[in-house]
Amino acid sequence: MSNTPADRQAIFTRRNLFGATAAGIAATSLGACATSGGDDEQKEVTVGDDAENPFGVDPKAPLDVVIFDGGFGNEYAVAHQALYNEAFPDAEIEFLATQAIAETQQPRFAEGKPADVIDNSGAQQIPMDALVSDGELAELTPLLDAPSYDDPALTVRETLRDGVLEAGTFNGKVYSLNYVFNAWTIWYDSKLFSDNGWTPPTTWAEMMALCPTIKAAGIAPWTYAGQHPVYLYDMFLMLAGRHGGVQVLKDIDNLVADAWRHPSVVAAAEALHSIGDGGFLLDGSAGIDHIQSQTAFNENKAAFLPCGSWLPNEQKAIAPEGFAYAPMGVPYLDGSVQPGLISAGGDEPFVIPKNAANLPGAYEYLRIMLSQEGSQIFGDTVQAATVVKGVELDNEAARMTDALVSNPDDMFQPKLRYWYTTMDTELRPALGQLINAETSAADFIDRMQGVADETAADDSIEKFTHDE
Amino acid sequence: MRHGRYPFILSFLALPVGLYAWLVILPFAQAFQISLTDWSGSSNSFNYIGFDNYVNLFKDDRFVLPALRNTGIILVVLPLVTIALGLFFAFMLNLGGKMRRGRIEGVRGARFHKIVFFFPQVLSVAIVGILWKQVYAPENFGGLITGALGAVGLPAPVNGFLADKRFVLAAVIGVLVWSAVGFYLVYFSSAIASIPRDLYEAAIIDGAGRIPMFFKITLPLLWDSVQTAWIYLSIIALDVFVLIYLMTPEQGGPDGASEVVGGVIWKYAFKHGEQAFASAIGVVLFFAALSLAVISLRVGRRERIEF
Repeated sequence: MSNTPADRQAIFTRRNLFGATAAGIAATSLGACATSGGDDEQKEVTVGDDAENPFGVDPKAPLDVVIFDGGFGNEYAVAHQALYNEAFPDAEIEFLATQAIAETQQPRFAEGKPADVIDNSGAQQIPMDALVSDGELAELTPLLDAPSYDDPALTVRETLRDGVLEAGTFNGKVYSLNYVFNAWTIWYDSKLFSDNGWTPPTTWAEMMALCPTIKAAGIAPWTYAGQHPVYLYDMFLMLAGRHGGVQVLKDIDNLVADAWRHPSVVAAAEALHSIGDGGFLLDGSAGIDHIQSQTAFNENKAAFLPCGSWLPNEQKAIAPEGFAYAPMGVPYLDGSVQPGLISAGGDEPFVIPKNAANLPGAYEYLRIMLSQEGSQIFGDTVQAATVVKGVELDNEAARMTDALVSNPDDMFQPKLRYWYTTMDTELRPALGQLINAETSAADFIDRMQGVADETAADDSIEKFTHDE
Repeated sequence: MRHGRYPFILSFLALPVGLYAWLVILPFAQAFQISLTDWSGSSNSFNYIGFDNYVNLFKDDRFVLPALRNTGIILVVLPLVTIALGLFFAFMLNLGGKMRRGRIEGVRGARFHKIVFFFPQVLSVAIVGILWKQVYAPENFGGLITGALGAVGLPAPVNGFLADKRFVLAAVIGVLVWSAVGFYLVYFSSAIASIPRDLYEAAIIDGAGRIPMFFKITLPLLWDSVQTAWIYLSIIALDVFVLIYLMTPEQGGPDGASEVVGGVIWKYAFKHGEQAFASAIGVVLFFAALSLAVISLRVGRRERIEF
């Protein structure tokens, strides 16, 4: 939005709430309304000299933590809070684990009394673009510049893997700590492939040549979570990015004119279209959710599944005997200039609201999460990598994913999904239509270029760009 | 005693009226106020932007316009089909059977049928949604209808009914009718029971069949009940959201084919961070519901028959 917070008026004071006529009702009731204002005192957190307590945490101040209770559960957060209480035994920690982040936390933002640390994740996350452009979030620079928990000689920033802050960066400022390291890849069962003598394809042409063979074996080549086409995002964008180089994707995110009409994007759209057109999708894919698609994949009803690197952990309890989850980058198109490009980086955004009551405590909590012990706890409880360097994971699929993302220059997270809700809501169904060949590649491109132009022209939407 | 009457009455009214003002009128008033701002919902500051939200509302062909169209379709189809089925079943269960000992009765097993038809009413809407999602699922994934169609060699949508743009709205309306018809059957049944049997017996003596009996006697005498049912069902139609949320891909898909006004309000308020825009849609919906109730009460007004 074009207005700075200073231009804005405090919401719903008694005076302006539909005038004096109803003031009697209003005065008694404001406390219960979603929009009654909180006081707006500005606090700053600076990094002090004390490496033990760089933010100057008040040891008695309570801390309010909200965790998204999804695939990763909340066991790790309980352990992190125990670490915090070890350092500050007098601090009382209020802890909420929920799936309904927006529904429980949005009213608290509106009231001006948000929690101190929020894991703003899941289907009910509060849109990051709205939070950032409303100025509701604290910048995380103090955290990143503070000495790390384990080694005061290193800053927190230096303990993180390359490129993981990208996801939480809005116009050069870091507003969220994306705690989990994730890569989006194509998964296959390497046992199924070796049993049948199939070679995992590296190029799109090889993949298309293999599909009829797979189909002849009575297995559908592809499936995906049709009810959540978001699972197709990275497969599609990486196809385009690999073909034309990462700049193609940056241009899309930056709303550069005609970015969607770039030949690489068109080629990627045609490639996705050819999957449905060739009859290479498992019947019914468009109608199923992620659990059903993963189950079909586990049962070898489909050979390829686009998903994130959490897949093997998620399936650990139900994976069939002998099933060998193996990740690969999306097979690249002929003439690709950056065939190693992969969508990887931080996920699971932790944010600190600007109006948090205990800002120093919130920064300290995140610093503890990023300690070796904190991230090893996470790695051990949920078998997923954090963004901290040097955490050991004893799982083959995680090591294979790491091998795919070894080159930091080839790591890139497309952002339009986080930056522009308008684009996101258009791209999801459009990708679903495209892979089912219900729309042509040309219509898909027109549709996406159309919404990109609208978004670029809409002054009420705050714009973000990638740093060059 | 007369002089103490008004304070006495007021003391009873103060609490309910106060609660009503606080919990109903005030939130409504606030929604009007919010709809004139650019409030995102997750901040405590905002700007007044006049009627921009209302102007933009009718330009939003991604969400709002399809939602208005789909809600409009539900608004016409749901009351029509539900009331028609409800009346038909109620008539059959009460008056559809043979004459016995000079009295006309319902079809055999009427009481049993009533319970069976009423059954969906006692299921929570969440259960109904999950149940029917499975019924409509693709054949590969255990869909009942697709499976049955496939078994008898008829074509079925390969991705199931809910993932197919052509069928998704009809599929949802089908569930709405299924879950509502039992209630209106019972409702119309009790209304029919209050119609004096001599009217029917006189009609039978005059040689009237079942169909003239229904249109000449039952329907005119049930008019008040039908009108009430119509208003209730219209309000249900405007509020359709939970089934869309539970059953359809992307809560209104595929590709916007089942967006409804309630769902779009939720999307804008909680997924897009545009609380003010959502409030504007809510205000429009409020006036739509209000005028609908007023119009159907006015238009439907008829002379009451005393019996």
